Amino acid sequence: MADLLSSAIVQTVLAGAALLGAISGMLGAFAVLRRQSLLGDALAHAALPGVCLGFLIAGARDLGTIMAGAFLTGALAALAMMLITRRTTLKTDAALGIVLSVFFAVGVVLLTYVQRQGRTASAGLETFLFGQAAAILRADLWIMGGVGLVALAVVLALWKEFKLVSFDAEFARANGFPVLALEAALTMLVALAIVVGLQLVGVVLMVALLIAPAAAARQWTRSLGGMVLLSALIGALSGAGGAFASAAQRGLATGPVVVLTATLIVLISLALAPERGLLWQALAARRARARISDRRVLATLQGLAEAHDNRHYPAESGMLKTALGAMPRAERLAGLEARGFIRPVTHPPETTPHWELTRAGHREADRLTRKTRDEEQGQ
Amino acid sequence: MSDIQTSDTRKDEALHEPGQALHVEDLTVAYGAVTALWDIDLDIPPGVMCAIVGPNGSGKSTLLKTALGLVKPVAGHVRFLGRPVRQMRGQIGYVPQRQSVDWDFPITAREVVEMGLYRSLGWLRRPDAQTRARAMKALSELGMQDYASRQISQLSGGQQQRVFIARALVQDAPILILDEPMAGVDASTEAIIIALLKRLRDEGRTIIVVHHDLTTVQSYFDWLVMMNVRVIAQGPIREVYTPENLRATYGRQLAMIAPPAGGRDG
Ligand SMILES: Nc1ncnc2c1ncn2[C@@H]1O[C@H](COP(=O)(O)OP(=O)(O)OP(=O)(O)O)[C@@H](O)[C@H]1O
Ligand SMILES: [Mg+2]
Repeated sequence: MADLLSSAIVQTVLAGAALLGAISGMLGAFAVLRRQSLLGDALAHAALPGVCLGFLIAGARDLGTIMAGAFLTGALAALAMMLITRRTTLKTDAALGIVLSVFFAVGVVLLTYVQRQGRTASAGLETFLFGQAAAILRADLWIMGGVGLVALAVVLALWKEFKLVSFDAEFARANGFPVLALEAALTMLVALAIVVGLQLVGVVLMVALLIAPAAAARQWTRSLGGMVLLSALIGALSGAGGAFASAAQRGLATGPVVVLTATLIVLISLALAPERGLLWQALAARRARARISDRRVLATLQGLAEAHDNRHYPAESGMLKTALGAMPRAERLAGLEARGFIRPVTHPPETTPHWELTRAGHREADRLTRKTRDEEQGQ
Repeated sequence: MSDIQTSDTRKDEALHEPGQALHVEDLTVAYGAVTALWDIDLDIPPGVMCAIVGPNGSGKSTLLKTALGLVKPVAGHVRFLGRPVRQMRGQIGYVPQRQSVDWDFPITAREVVEMGLYRSLGWLRRPDAQTRARAMKALSELGMQDYASRQISQLSGGQQQRVFIARALVQDAPILILDEPMAGVDASTEAIIIALLKRLRDEGRTIIVVHHDLTTVQSYFDWLVMMNVRVIAQGPIREVYTPENLRATYGRQLAMIAPPAGGRDG
């Protein structure tokens, strides 16, 4: 492993993959929040004809030209989609479907044509279908870094406008913000993210690199800034992880590994994230049930004590069961006993178990009653 | 009022009916085959608290959206204090009827309110301590200060509504437009909102509210617009809130439910 990492080629590939993942993750966060994941998919497929055109024009695998071509057809697809949804009665999903398949079909035709030509460098072209980090060259890093910086600068400069438009476009319009231009800018940034990400995962899987980091990041954060940052980090991690795996294991395609890494992070996030994770929610529900059970036991014992005018009234377990509707779990009672709130007592001649409220238990019951009342008023 | 009737092309530049907070002329709006508003002429003077009433689908929301430039009319024009809406951006607070936002957006109540100040901040400037303080003040006017750092997804429907009212409030606008702000809020919240709106009216602002509860309309408002695709009646509420007008707006049955309580003031 140390061998691998010290190789200059592997370093280049790792750095490039991490950079691409970070850019896609950052911009993907906005796409996810604006519910534009599918738009991302359509733009990615629409980039393929642009890749081929770029290759035909440059006559070689020149990243700059290829990226420009991909961006151009991607932007064209976005425009086509906008026109279709505005000018016809077709819904967005139908427009997406049409644009995606038409552009992708043209892309496949062009790809076949280029490969038929049998030019030497055309071999690298089909890597744009599924991505290949190993094809990243040192010179490419500069282009990617430049694109990343431009995207970052735009996002930082228009941060509050992007936040506003993503959250509530109608309010932005009522306030006179140039909503159409801002939305177009966000869409163009997504197209840009796709163009740079193509090398890594290819047109077919690109949408995953766009949405998976963002979906995972959403689980862990409560602010837009946190989400965008974390999404970029997860994207970088997935990119580097995928690139490393395919470098270590010759013949392992990069794109799928990157996407699987990101998906794994999504699954972990869905299960474990605090507050939003499934596990956390299950535990929280259990804690809430336990708390309510304790409250009701204490309140019942206190009520019985008051009714009998005896602060140490021994309540028989059957009485608890009747009052609460079911016997509280033994471990809950043991817990209350351990905290010194209740005490098991015998009440001869009866042989069944009895419980009484201790002084601390009375105090705790009073406190909980107050708390319940406050909570009700706070509603 | 002054009759500045310049040629149609120059209309947008001239100050037209500056004496009215809202002036609507010959406004017609259609959604495809549905005519939502037909030839509306409307004047709401500044400093009043005006209710717009009418049955479901009578075009109340459409009227507000068109006035705000969110829906394009087939014909007619709108002026706020004599100016077209695009010259009045940021000077009109607006609370839409149903929030069409993504409730799971990672954002707190305070951040939502701060959005009301984004325009006045201008490009490139970030919300600062002063923005935060103003947002907090608007939230506390609606009794929401304790919820400032809650995610909006963790608020009840009535609390969410109050946050969006605070967002319009924080703009400190001379004209406030609210589309059914009382929908789905409890009695005490309604009292808070009405007291707040009346105070803003007393400061000289114009408050325009789409209202559905005819039992309270007389005690809350001092100006009334009754409409059903067309304007049925408009003016001071004591003159306009009559059985004939109610009948013309709603049909026969509803006029029985809320008879005018002659002589009460808003
Ligand atoms: N986006 C739209 N597309 C097509 N028709 C619409 C649209 N919005 C409203 N309409 C139609 O225009 C008419 C007026 O609707 P509007 O929402 O303005 O009524 P409203 O008075 O606000 O009703 P409510 O009391 O239910 O809020 C209705 O017939 C409605 O069906
Ligand atoms: Mg409405």
